[in-house]
Amino acid sequence: MITFSGETMITSIRMRAIATTSAILGMVLCVGCGAPIAEFQQNHVYILKQKNELDGAFTPQQRKDLANVMEALFGTPDNPHIPQTGVDTSSLFEQNKLLMAAGPYGSYEDGRPRGLYREHCVHCHGVTGDGKGPTAQFLNPYPRDYRLGKFKFKSTPSATPPTHEDLRLILYNGIPDTAMPSFKLIPGDELEALIQYVRYLSIRGTVERELIFVMAEYGEEERLFDETIGAEQAEEVTDVVNAVLEDWIAAEGASLEIPPAPKGEKADMIAKGKALFYGDIAGCVKCHGDSALGDGQKTDYDDWAKDYFDPKKPDDRYQYIALGALEPQNIIPRNLRAGVYRGGRRPIDLYRRIANGITGTPMPKAPASLSPDDIWHLVHYVRSLPRETTSNPYQHVPANNRERH
Amino acid sequence: MGRFWSLLFLLVPVIGVGIFVVCAAEIGIEDHWLPENVNEHGRVIDDLFMFILYLTGIIFIATGIALFWFLWKYDAAKNVEPVKYVHGSHTLEVVWSIVPAATLLFIAIYQMNAWADAKMRRPTLPGSDELLPPLVEVTARQFEWRLRYAGVDQVMGTDDDVFGVNDLHIPVDEDIVIAIKSKDVLHSFFLPNLRIKQDIVPGMKQHVWFKSNKKGVYDIVCAELCGWGHYKMKGRLTISSRDDFNIWLQEQYENQEVSEFEPEGSE
Repeated sequence: MITFSGETMITSIRMRAIATTSAILGMVLCVGCGAPIAEFQQNHVYILKQKNELDGAFTPQQRKDLANVMEALFGTPDNPHIPQTGVDTSSLFEQNKLLMAAGPYGSYEDGRPRGLYREHCVHCHGVTGDGKGPTAQFLNPYPRDYRLGKFKFKSTPSATPPTHEDLRLILYNGIPDTAMPSFKLIPGDELEALIQYVRYLSIRGTVERELIFVMAEYGEEERLFDETIGAEQAEEVTDVVNAVLEDWIAAEGASLEIPPAPKGEKADMIAKGKALFYGDIAGCVKCHGDSALGDGQKTDYDDWAKDYFDPKKPDDRYQYIALGALEPQNIIPRNLRAGVYRGGRRPIDLYRRIANGITGTPMPKAPASLSPDDIWHLVHYVRSLPRETTSNPYQHVPANNRERH
Repeated sequence: MGRFWSLLFLLVPVIGVGIFVVCAAEIGIEDHWLPENVNEHGRVIDDLFMFILYLTGIIFIATGIALFWFLWKYDAAKNVEPVKYVHGSHTLEVVWSIVPAATLLFIAIYQMNAWADAKMRRPTLPGSDELLPPLVEVTARQFEWRLRYAGVDQVMGTDDDVFGVNDLHIPVDEDIVIAIKSKDVLHSFFLPNLRIKQDIVPGMKQHVWFKSNKKGVYDIVCAELCGWGHYKMKGRLTISSRDDFNIWLQEQYENQEVSEFEPEGSE
């Protein structure tokens, strides 16, 4: 038997204390190091909503089935798949571009970049593209949740997905007055990779929502996909995926054609636009306000908030917020005197906003009784508003430089 | 080891000077320290920098050697005599107060002109006392540079203003004034190749000016930590001839005024 003399005993206790302290210190220091493994999050908010509204069962088995089907179709954030359901998706994605955008930040052995989405976008838009990255809660408007498949600033009609060029313009120019910056200076193929990855996330999110909607009808024993039943169920899933993919493919040719602006005296056209602005047919004044400061109404919500939030039952939101939904924010009509245009300042951009409306927001598409010339007159009027003297009241701005000659 | 510990302290100036000499021999002092200067007045700022570098360099070496010398000479093992108490030296104190004070005063006076040129003497319109209006207004925001050119009429806030982001174009060999503003937080407008750096305070209007003398593509960076995306707040400065600049500006204006659109594949 070994006995310790008093002195060695103390030394060994001290040694152990030092070892323990450094181990604890090491653990404390390492907490927070290393990113968590990136995983697509299931759309719990939408599941709960379908559960509440349609009395869906959504048993743990069914949720697991959904996760399995989604992974089989779309892969993981580190290894994305293009869904193979018989539709030719070559106009939507290329595998090598998706691989540039996906995965952790870094580069492949051949020097190609990797993880561009996590480098540039994930902070706001989140790994799943749910618009719930770490900075999202501090922003107004919130970053776009791609999963609804709705995008505000595009050339296509309201219910149609955006075209490639629509997405490219937003990435290229950014969205002034929101937290979306411009990615003008990143190389063209990297921008292309990001566009395709946004499409991928949006399509993935929409498919998930559609599947959840299908599952809401299921009894407790029914399953989304059960290997023992097989083919018939697979067809149901494939149909959902294909419908979404075909929507996106068809969007490419669905841009609104814009006839040239009518010729004429500018002041005249502005006056006509003004009459329409305050008239009953266009009715712009109802939201944008008597002075076009965007103060006609300020209490509405956009579709991304209304997805889980009912303004008539505000207390219901807590159960969704507990699952990660963001506190709903009011959507404010644009102040047309500021001269800041989120979706672009070109006349054709404004024409599109008025003619097609803004998807997901209370801004409706122009009624059929407005002719293209009427819309052009409105565009001219809106573009003239920031130039009016009332829009630019004199303001003293302190300057820090003393000027000497 | 004894007094040889003091050699360790001698290594500080030796290694410091050694690295400097190796780098200077390898890359050249100019390229090693500063990016290429393309500003007419940037030379003055570089000279000031080099002057202060050499001044502090000499003091650094002198201090390092003095420290070593005292450590070596007054090593406890070699100095057996008891320590003598000294009340202090009035002369020494006067000297080490006056010399640095005079040096600082010299730098303060020596740089006055450079400072005034950079911050106070805004260029005027040729042949008059009127201040040169800004060619472009740069509005910093998290995390990009929004640009607004005054356009052909050189007046900001009119119909021919040209808007852009991150991609700044400037004509060469001309006095250029840029108005800078911030939309949200503190930023700093930094053009390393033009030796221009100005903090931007929200709610405050400021101007920077320069005359570049070389065409090329350079960086715009934010030099004030402005938020989590500070690193991505990068722009591109293109310096071109006046003609190329005018063509570019006209192109931008036309792109901004598109008022007709036919979707691809129609007809």
